[in-house]
Amino acid sequence: MMRKSPMKQESRQTISGVDFKEYFQPESIQKALEIRAEYGDQIEVAAGSTDLLVANYEKLHEIKYWLDLVKLDQLKKIEVIDNELHIGAMVTHLQLMKSDLIKKNLAVLAAAAEDVGSPQIRSRGTIGGNICTSSPAGDLLAPLLSYGASFKLQSTEGERIVKAEEFFTGPKRNSMETDELLTEIIIPLTDNKREGSWIKVGRRKALVISTLTLAVVLEFEGEKIVKAGIAMGSVAPTPVRLKGIEAVMVDQKLTDLDYKALGREVKASINPIDDLRGTKEYREDVAVDVMVRALKEIERKVSS
Amino acid sequence: MQITLTVNGEQRELEVTPYTRLLDLLREDLGLTGVKEGCGKGECGACTVIMNGELTASCLVPAPQADQAEIITVEGLGTRDNLHPIQESFVEAGAVQCGYCIPGMVLAGKRLLDENPKPTEKEVRYGLSGNICRCTGYAKIIDAVMLAADKLAVEGSDSND
Amino acid sequence: MTDQSKRIKDYFCKHTTRCTIEGVKKSKRFVGHDVLKADAWDKVTGDAVYPDDISFDDMLYIKIKRAVHPHAILKDIDISRAKKVQGVVDIIVAEDIPDVRQFGLIIRDQPVLIAPGEKMRYMGDALAIVVAETKEAAKKARDLIKVKVEELEVITDPFRAMEDDAPNIHPDGNIVITHHLNRGDVDTAFKDSAIVEENRYQTQFIDQLPMQNEAGVALYDERHGVVDIWAATQWLHDTQADVAQSLRLSKDQVRIIQPTIGGAFGKKEDVSVHIHLAIAAMRTGRPVKLCFTREESMITQSKRHPITIINKTGVDRDGYLTAWETKFIGDTGAYASSGPAVVHKGMYHATGPYNCPNLRGVSHAVYTNNTYAGAMRGFGTAQGAFAYEQQMDILAHKLNMDPAEFRLKNIYKKDSITPNGQQLTHSVNAEETIKRVMELSDWKGGRK
Repeated sequence: MMRKSPMKQESRQTISGVDFKEYFQPESIQKALEIRAEYGDQIEVAAGSTDLLVANYEKLHEIKYWLDLVKLDQLKKIEVIDNELHIGAMVTHLQLMKSDLIKKNLAVLAAAAEDVGSPQIRSRGTIGGNICTSSPAGDLLAPLLSYGASFKLQSTEGERIVKAEEFFTGPKRNSMETDELLTEIIIPLTDNKREGSWIKVGRRKALVISTLTLAVVLEFEGEKIVKAGIAMGSVAPTPVRLKGIEAVMVDQKLTDLDYKALGREVKASINPIDDLRGTKEYREDVAVDVMVRALKEIERKVSS
Repeated sequence: MQITLTVNGEQRELEVTPYTRLLDLLREDLGLTGVKEGCGKGECGACTVIMNGELTASCLVPAPQADQAEIITVEGLGTRDNLHPIQESFVEAGAVQCGYCIPGMVLAGKRLLDENPKPTEKEVRYGLSGNICRCTGYAKIIDAVMLAADKLAVEGSDSND
Repeated sequence: MTDQSKRIKDYFCKHTTRCTIEGVKKSKRFVGHDVLKADAWDKVTGDAVYPDDISFDDMLYIKIKRAVHPHAILKDIDISRAKKVQGVVDIIVAEDIPDVRQFGLIIRDQPVLIAPGEKMRYMGDALAIVVAETKEAAKKARDLIKVKVEELEVITDPFRAMEDDAPNIHPDGNIVITHHLNRGDVDTAFKDSAIVEENRYQTQFIDQLPMQNEAGVALYDERHGVVDIWAATQWLHDTQADVAQSLRLSKDQVRIIQPTIGGAFGKKEDVSVHIHLAIAAMRTGRPVKLCFTREESMITQSKRHPITIINKTGVDRDGYLTAWETKFIGDTGAYASSGPAVVHKGMYHATGPYNCPNLRGVSHAVYTNNTYAGAMRGFGTAQGAFAYEQQMDILAHKLNMDPAEFRLKNIYKKDSITPNGQQLTHSVNAEETIKRVMELSDWKGGRK
């Protein structure tokens, strides 16, 4: 046979020619919901695809039905409606960390978005995807819990609003029905002074699945804490909100609190496991330290 | 299914399947093998391209999601005889060893300098944080981006004079 | 000149050949100059051709069906369903290639394909070569291959492997090789030592993790009987010889063409894609390509040896080393690879850059069912360094001596003799290095 010398691949422009009729890229939410209703859990929902393509590496060809939300521009907006911040499910991490609205009102969420993956991941990965993947280590989830976020789930039948703490039911499990899509994240705004802290513990600074995360959001009237949101990731089967500790802090002055004792409370309230990112013991010890660090950071911010 | 996208300034109409990744599309259909696959899972940055102005791991983009997108690969920056200043800097700073991460590094460096022409070392490290190199230990890669910043600044000031 | 352009000029001075440093006599071309890397231009433009960048129009894709258990006898392999996948051209199993021989860097202990009745010894062992028109078809068919096995005890710890009742992973037993080192009178020296310190150190598997996974393309020229393989290797001639003997070809029938290598760090010393590529190219008569995934590369190809090091070190009252005994046990995994040489070299470096007159050592490379370990930067000495430097710190602490001063007392100087009897006749800069580090780090002593 003829011997060819190796060369760079020339443009061939034909790898399939197969017409995939069941890759849907709707341009309206209504159309997306209809497709979702028809295919239910048979269909893979693609947002930024940064989780989907990792989970299906080497078996992408086995996915039969795709619902790609990338052309739903309605879901890429961040806006204020009636003293609530509405974040579209297709807003990327990059949008979150650059948005003035988010930086001003939800600094802890912006900081968490900045710690996700790498520039290459943040430009594609979405807040909706992070929520629907429902990993206990999802970096945006603890901040969303601390801000008291709710999720708008839509189907052809209508819509319902679910509180973040009721949404997550287990590792990579949530209470979304198979005909529903997450379309919006709703977070109440406040006129009170809000200060917060975001701490992510991992083996590297970039591209790391968190060993532990902590999001603390405090609302002040004068020096008094009137509302507290404390949530953690990677310390239980779901991201968790620590309401017991929040209750202890409300109506107190920050400087009157015993940070170390609160840290020990945090340790007592979580239920981490041993895994390749850290042991239970390590996570419990670190939980105490990060709580103290977070409160000190908020104290610094408040006093300055 | 058919998509339309612009690659390195040229508009292309292409037939794709959903299991074609943007990475495969660029490498196999368009012959742009400067885009590399190191892990296939968005961890290493070798497959980095600039998509609609942002760094993107092309191994994590199903080709249909690149419909209407504007893509820049390393081939779109400069040629051997006419290197982009950032490519020139990588050569001159001795930042290239095995070279497998370099197309991604060059693009990450370019994207950073487009937004922030005078980055600090820390900002360079953050800008390159999605790209892994196993040869250099990064020092000379960071030098290269800093050098490129200087070159682009001189170029800019020269053209203003 | 602006500040910026001066910085650029300084950079050129530092990094390029375009200016000279005054007062230093230089050769005309390279020695004493900073030289730009010849292939850097190709690499910054994306022009450089790595193995996965090579392709042919009528090329076929290969996927390998690998072991399903780390230590098991293959009872049956059923490829009937896999063969029916549209686009599959060939599925090659051991019975198709009865004449092919085992391969390996030092000991030829690695089978090309596991046959029924034979054992798989780690998760990377190959059971079948699937060749198809597309990658997807090859993956699909690979996943449809059915395998029956009889499971055996899985040995993951070299100490278990060395026990009398441990099953043999290879016919000749689990200790691949034993090396000894003897110099002086260790027993007397220990007896006369002021302090004797014995500790056990353990290092772990490390993947070399070059950025490019193992990959290659092959083409068979039937008329001349020559197979061309474009795939990375760190030992072109050795890989060629090993592939040729395995396939019972003469060396001139095997051409290994080195594309640009996307990193290696020891991992690409071993044969990876080469033999499977050659077999597939010869059987199908078409160009074939095989690219490992990252997982496949990690499971299949070599690692840095995890080594257990037991160091017993004696020192006199003045802080001079008197005797050193080392046991050096390397987990070489399922196959020997460079293991016999790695544990040999590691043992001879057991004392690091420190003089010690009385030495005794033993080192083993031991088979387990872990991924095999081979070459990685340092070849056994990195593991040893972890252990001997810890020993030095612990001894300095016990002597209540500054660890830098303790090292300076014992450091190699010109005419020092290493454990394998080599006299260092020139260029021994270790003492100078320590002193310079003390100076640069503003060392203030490290007494407890």
